[in-house]
Amino acid sequence: MSAEHAEAGAGAAASAPARPRMGLSIRTRGLLVSLVLLAIPFVGYGYVREVERVLKAAQEQAVTAQARAVATALHDRPKLLDRRFDRVEGSAVYPRGTTVAATQEIELIVRGLRRSGSRIWVIDQDRRLLVLEGSLRQDPRREPDEAADLWDRIQRAVLGPLFALLLDRPREDFDDALPEAVISGGRAVDNALTGVPSTRWRETADRRAVVLAAAHPVWNGTEVVGAVVVEETTNRVLSLRNRAFEQLLTTTLAVFVLGALTLFFFTRSLSRRLARLRDEAEQAIDARGRIRRAFRAERDRDEIGDLSRSFGTVLDRLAEYNDYLERMAARLSHELRTPIAVVSSSLDNLRTGPSAPGAQVYIQRAEEGVRRLNALLTRMSEARRLAETLKGTERERFDLGRVVSGCVAGYVAAFPQQRFDLRLPERRIELDGAPDLIAQLLDKLVDNARDFSAPGEPIEIAVDAEWDWARLAVSNVGPLLPEAMASQVFDSMVSLRPPAPNGEGARAKAEPPIAPKSAEPHLGLGLFIVRLIAEFHGGTATARNRADRRGVVVEVRIPVA
Amino acid sequence: MSRRIAIVEDDAAIRENVADTLRRQGYEPTPYADRKTALAAFRSRLPDLAIVDIGLGDEVDGGFTLVRELRALSETVPIIFLTARDSDLDLVSGLRLGADDYLTKTISMPHLLARLAALFRRVEVLRSPPKNEEAVERGPLRLDLKRMTATWRGGPIDLTLTEFWMVHALVKYPGHVKSRDQLMSEANLVVDDGTITSHIKRIRKKFVGADPAFDAIDTVYGMGYRWVEGPGAA
Repeated sequence: MSAEHAEAGAGAAASAPARPRMGLSIRTRGLLVSLVLLAIPFVGYGYVREVERVLKAAQEQAVTAQARAVATALHDRPKLLDRRFDRVEGSAVYPRGTTVAATQEIELIVRGLRRSGSRIWVIDQDRRLLVLEGSLRQDPRREPDEAADLWDRIQRAVLGPLFALLLDRPREDFDDALPEAVISGGRAVDNALTGVPSTRWRETADRRAVVLAAAHPVWNGTEVVGAVVVEETTNRVLSLRNRAFEQLLTTTLAVFVLGALTLFFFTRSLSRRLARLRDEAEQAIDARGRIRRAFRAERDRDEIGDLSRSFGTVLDRLAEYNDYLERMAARLSHELRTPIAVVSSSLDNLRTGPSAPGAQVYIQRAEEGVRRLNALLTRMSEARRLAETLKGTERERFDLGRVVSGCVAGYVAAFPQQRFDLRLPERRIELDGAPDLIAQLLDKLVDNARDFSAPGEPIEIAVDAEWDWARLAVSNVGPLLPEAMASQVFDSMVSLRPPAPNGEGARAKAEPPIAPKSAEPHLGLGLFIVRLIAEFHGGTATARNRADRRGVVVEVRIPVA
Repeated sequence: MSRRIAIVEDDAAIRENVADTLRRQGYEPTPYADRKTALAAFRSRLPDLAIVDIGLGDEVDGGFTLVRELRALSETVPIIFLTARDSDLDLVSGLRLGADDYLTKTISMPHLLARLAALFRRVEVLRSPPKNEEAVERGPLRLDLKRMTATWRGGPIDLTLTEFWMVHALVKYPGHVKSRDQLMSEANLVVDDGTITSHIKRIRKKFVGADPAFDAIDTVYGMGYRWVEGPGAA
């Protein structure tokens, strides 16, 4: 994009001001804007954290409730937690005062109230473990019910590594041993044995999981006879949280990708349209500032389309104005013809009628002036008449070399003082166009060369072909072109070089209406006509200083038929 | 009896100047400033020749309209357009409407008079029965210099005065190249190169219209034109 840009800029002539370097493109900006969407996962993350907190609180309440329920079931059952007996049965040491039967009953109660994934233990006042029921490990059967549908699987396959990186997965391979320290020194247990229910979070010994323990005292009347401790890992909450987080992340990622893509394509279409608009605008006007071709305005009914259309309108108006300027010369000549006719017919009458002695001289001079004016007008309207002719010209195939050699033979006869060097190609160069027009073009090139040619120097006329282009070059020794203005010489009414001071003698043209050179104004229409004819043939005309810097070469390139 | 020449021209100065010139030459000019008065006068009495401008006051193409009306009144009265307009389109339209010649206002009075005389001579000769003919014959081409008419293989070619003079200049010395300047002076024309080209084109077209094999006018690029005799000589 920047390359074509630079090219277009270079083509647009040195006169155009340097284009400021581009900052961020619209496309980049669009992408930056889409980054805002990335805030969504962070907000979501905070939300998930909150949910986790709530879940933990709920779990705490649930666990506490369970501990209370178990404790309540054991309340005021002195038989179950009697402190008066110690029992040893086999290898198991039963707490004092608790019978096997009592223990079994406690076990029954506990088992009845236990939830899966929770572990309940009951201790007596002496911190002896009476019953330990359940496991902290989750029921493994619950796992495979997910990952059922395809979407989940894809999501897991694509995003799994990311989640693994971001989230700590709950693990079920933690050490679920009940540490002695918890029983003997856990604060929850301490509180419970003093009659205060409490909960506590602790890590497992291997730090792989967090365990929530709720202790509740078991009352016998007003006396605390033991404590019930319900333990659960936070794994369930964690996996819930993880799921929520995964879903959130997946959704936001999808939204982000979708949003970014949409924005990307949108900005891309915007910047493409803008680039097209820029190219159109640049190509609509050529290096010389002429309107080259019709501006193709967009039809979209939005701001860019609007801009494009207003560009089109501006260029149309400019084209009209240019057209007006180019027609100006022709119109002027037309408007001037009538008053000139008045003058010349009056002079004619004056000459044939009786006149004061000596008046004839002045009549002659006035007629000379009118004749020059006429010649001028004819030249001025020539360009317009040519433009009209071009519209209706029929094309034919002809040999460029033959036309040029015929013309040059004519010049040699017409201007005996001028030397002409003609170089023709050996083979035919076929063009598709109008030989008359090419002859007219050559006339103008030679006229121009003669106007500026230094005396005694030949005018070089060369015809050759390279690839598909025929080249017709006319070069003369004489004043150089100002570098910067080289492209303007082909415009109407532009004359840059001062005519050669000596050239007056060389100009002995046979055309009756054209005055001697000294009297002839240089209108700069000749090369304008060259341009018109070259463009009619699909070619170009360029003027540049010769490589040896002794003069100027005007070159016309026309595609071969 | 002096010949009556109608001048229809909206510019008073030119109208009077032309009238003065004609009067001095013994013609009887009747100037009209607009189409309506001219047409009214033509209806009551036809002029011997009419010089008409195309733009007449507010009527941009008033001259064209007038010539059409005048041609409806008379098939034979010679008509010359004298106008500031020099585009090919106007020239072709004017001649197609039946004008005998089309001149731009830059023409000098002597040139104008020469044309008038030639036109009158042609009318004169056409009216009188053919007697001592003065003619140029070049192969199938025959130019009657008195009547200023041309025939090709016996068939008439409808040439305007300008065109007739050009053809005459070409065939006077067959094979010789006539430059555009020479053709211009032979035809009493003061125009530019481009107009000569379009005149030649029109002449060719007229001949080709009568004979598709016509190929006698040869373009010599950069020099001019020449008349080549015999088919296929070009």
